Amino acid sequence: MSALLKPFKSDQPIPKSFVPLLAFTLLAIGLAIYRLYAGLGATTNMSDHYPWGIWITVDLFLIPVAGAAFTISLISYYFGRERYHTIIRPAVLAGFLGYGVVGVLLFLDIGRWPQFYNILVPPLNVHSFLEEISICVTLYTIILVIEIAPVFLEKWGIQAKWIDRWILWIAGAGIVLSTLHQSSLGSLFLLLRYKLHPLWWTPALPVLFFLQALYTGLGMTAIATNIVWKMLNIPRDKELYRRLGQVMSLVLSLYFAVKVGDWMGSGEFATLMHPDPYVIIALLEVFLGVIVPLVILFSRLSSHSAGPFWAGVFALMGTFINRLVITWIGVAEPSPIPYMPSWIEIFITVGLLAGAFLVYGVVVRYFKLFPDPGEGHSH
Amino acid sequence: MSLSRRDFLKVVGATAGTALVAAQPVLAAPGTTDPNEYVGMLYDATKCVGCNACTNACRQWNKTTPEIVEGLYDAPQQLSADTWTLIQLYQDGEASSFVKRQCMHCVDPACVSGCPVEALKKSAAGPVTYDPNRCIGCRYCMYTCPFHVPRFEWKEVIPEITKCTLCADRIAEGNGPACAERCPTGALIWGKRGELIADGESRLAAEPTRYINKIYGKEDVGGTGVMYLSAVAFEHLGLPKVDNTPVPEISEAIGNLFLPGIIVGGPLVLAALHSIAKRGGLDEEA
Ligand code: SF4
Ligand code: SF4
Repeated sequence: MSALLKPFKSDQPIPKSFVPLLAFTLLAIGLAIYRLYAGLGATTNMSDHYPWGIWITVDLFLIPVAGAAFTISLISYYFGRERYHTIIRPAVLAGFLGYGVVGVLLFLDIGRWPQFYNILVPPLNVHSFLEEISICVTLYTIILVIEIAPVFLEKWGIQAKWIDRWILWIAGAGIVLSTLHQSSLGSLFLLLRYKLHPLWWTPALPVLFFLQALYTGLGMTAIATNIVWKMLNIPRDKELYRRLGQVMSLVLSLYFAVKVGDWMGSGEFATLMHPDPYVIIALLEVFLGVIVPLVILFSRLSSHSAGPFWAGVFALMGTFINRLVITWIGVAEPSPIPYMPSWIEIFITVGLLAGAFLVYGVVVRYFKLFPDPGEGHSH
Repeated sequence: MSLSRRDFLKVVGATAGTALVAAQPVLAAPGTTDPNEYVGMLYDATKCVGCNACTNACRQWNKTTPEIVEGLYDAPQQLSADTWTLIQLYQDGEASSFVKRQCMHCVDPACVSGCPVEALKKSAAGPVTYDPNRCIGCRYCMYTCPFHVPRFEWKEVIPEITKCTLCADRIAEGNGPACAERCPTGALIWGKRGELIADGESRLAAEPTRYINKIYGKEDVGGTGVMYLSAVAFEHLGLPKVDNTPVPEISEAIGNLFLPGIIVGGPLVLAALHSIAKRGGLDEEA
C-alpha cells in the first residue's frame, strides 16, 4: 500500500497496488449501471420491511468520517492553530472523496433516479430535514471543490488568488453548512419516535450527532495523518498530535455528558439495568466509542503518537455501531424479515470506497498534497 | 419509562413553544381546514364480518392486481404495492376481531412532514395524496410512518410509493371512498371527521360493554382520518400505543429552533472566534 502514497513521481509506472483498487472500482461501476437498469428490487435485498439498507448506513457513517475536513478547517482557520494548515489539503481531499461516495450511493439508492433533480427544484418542503440535508450537502460539496481546487490549479500553472483571499469566508461557509447537516442527520430520526429504540430516540439527536461528527472527524484526522506521515517518512508533528488529542478528549467528554444526561432525563437509565441485546449494544457503543478513547487520551499514551491514533480507531468503531443501530438494527418493523445486504449492494459499496482510495492515491502521487518534509514543521 | 420521556418532551416542547407559536401561522399550508372538516372513515371492528367487500371495491376502483398466494385467489397477507387495504384477523382463545388496514390519513402526518419534495401532501379535503412526478423514491416516508403503511413497487425499475389514497379522486366528485361505500354491514362508514367522532362517541355511550372505551385515532398522533372502534385492545389489532402529540411536532419545533439558530449564530460564533484568534487569545503559544 505504501506505493499508493508515494508522491511526485509522475514518471514512474503505475504501482501494483492500484490494480486491485481499479478492478473493484470498475466492478462497482458495472454493477451500478446494472442497478439503474434493473431496479432496486432486482439488485438489492431491501423490502417493505427494510426500506433502507446498507447504503444508507454507510452514508450515515461516512458523513461524520468525512467531517474531518470540517473539523480541521474549524480548528485551523478559526482557532488560530496555524500548524494544522499542513493537514488541511489531505483532509479536504479525503472529505471531498467521502462526500463523493455518499453522493453516488444516494443517487443509486433513490428509486426514481431519473427525476433526482426534484430534490433541488421547488416546491421544496421546508419542514423536511432530508431536504435541508440535501441542500447543505450539495452546497458543502461545492465548497470542498473550491477548497481543493488550488491543488490542481497550481499543477497546471493557474493562479486562483481569490481562493486564498476569500478562504476564511469559504471555509466559514463550509463550517456552517457542516454544522447544519451533521446535526440534521440526527434530526432525520426525530420522526421515528415510535419506531427507533428509546435508548437512541431522543430530542437531543441533533446535538449528539453534531458532537459525534466533531470527534469522529478528529479521530479520522489522527488516523489518516499517522498513516500518511509514516508512509511518506515525514517527521511526525508531535505537538500537533498532542493538541488534536486534547480537543478530541474535550468533545468526547461533552458527548458523554449529553448522552448520559439524556438517558437520565428520559428515564432510559433504568432500562440499562435490565440487559437485553439492545442494552448491551448501547453500552458497547458508549464503551468502545467514548470511554476507551477517553481513557487512552487521558493516559500517558496521549503524548505518544499512537494515543490519538488508537483513540480515533475506537471512536470510529463506536460511531459505526451508533449509525448501524439508528439506521437499521434499532428500527422496529412489525414483522421483521431479516435484512442482509445483497452481494450487489456490498460490492457497489466496497468498489466505490476502493475508487475513492484510488483517486486519493493518484492525487497524492501526481499532485502536491503534502508539504515537503520540513516545510510547515519549523514552528 | 415512556411517561418520563413524555415529561421530558413537554419540557423541550415548552422551550420550543415560543418559536413554534411564532412560526406556525406563517408556515401553515394555505387552505388548511379544521381537522373535523376532513373527510375520514370510522371502522367498527365489532360490526365487521370479514367479507372483503371493501378490499374488492378498492381493487376495482384503483385497478390493483389481486395477489395469488399458494393457489388462493387474492389472499394478501399484508399491505403491499398491490394491496392498499386488507382485512386481517386477530385471534386469541375466545377473543377475536377483524381489523381493516390502510393509510390512516393522519391529521398531521409524519410522512408529509418528512417528504423532501412535497410528493406527499395533506389535501384540504383530508386525504394524504401522492404525486409520482415529484417523488424521488427516497423511501423516507416508509421509514417515518408510525403505522408502517407506505409501500414501494420493488418489482418495477422506476417504482412508485403506493398506499391508500382515501379515494381522493372520488371525494373530489362528492363520493365516498370505494371501500366505505361498498361495506354491507355498516362497519365502515365515511363522512366528515367531526361527525364520525360524534357518531362513535354515541355508540360508546349507548353500548359501553360492547367496546373498549376509546375511539382510536380521535386524538392519537394528533388525530387520524381513519378511526377505529374495537372490543379488543387496539395493540392486538396492530394499532400501536402512541401519545396525542403529532409525530412531526417535535421534529418541526427543533427545526424551527436549530436551523435559524445555526444559520444566524454560526457566523457570529465564527466571527468571534476569529477576532479572538487574531489577538492570539485562544492559542497558548501566541
Ligand atoms: S398512516 Fe402513515 S402514510 Fe398514512 S398519513 Fe399517516 S404517516 Fe402518512
Ligand atoms: S419516497 Fe417519495 S413520497 Fe416518500 S418521502 Fe421520498 S420523495 Fe416523498
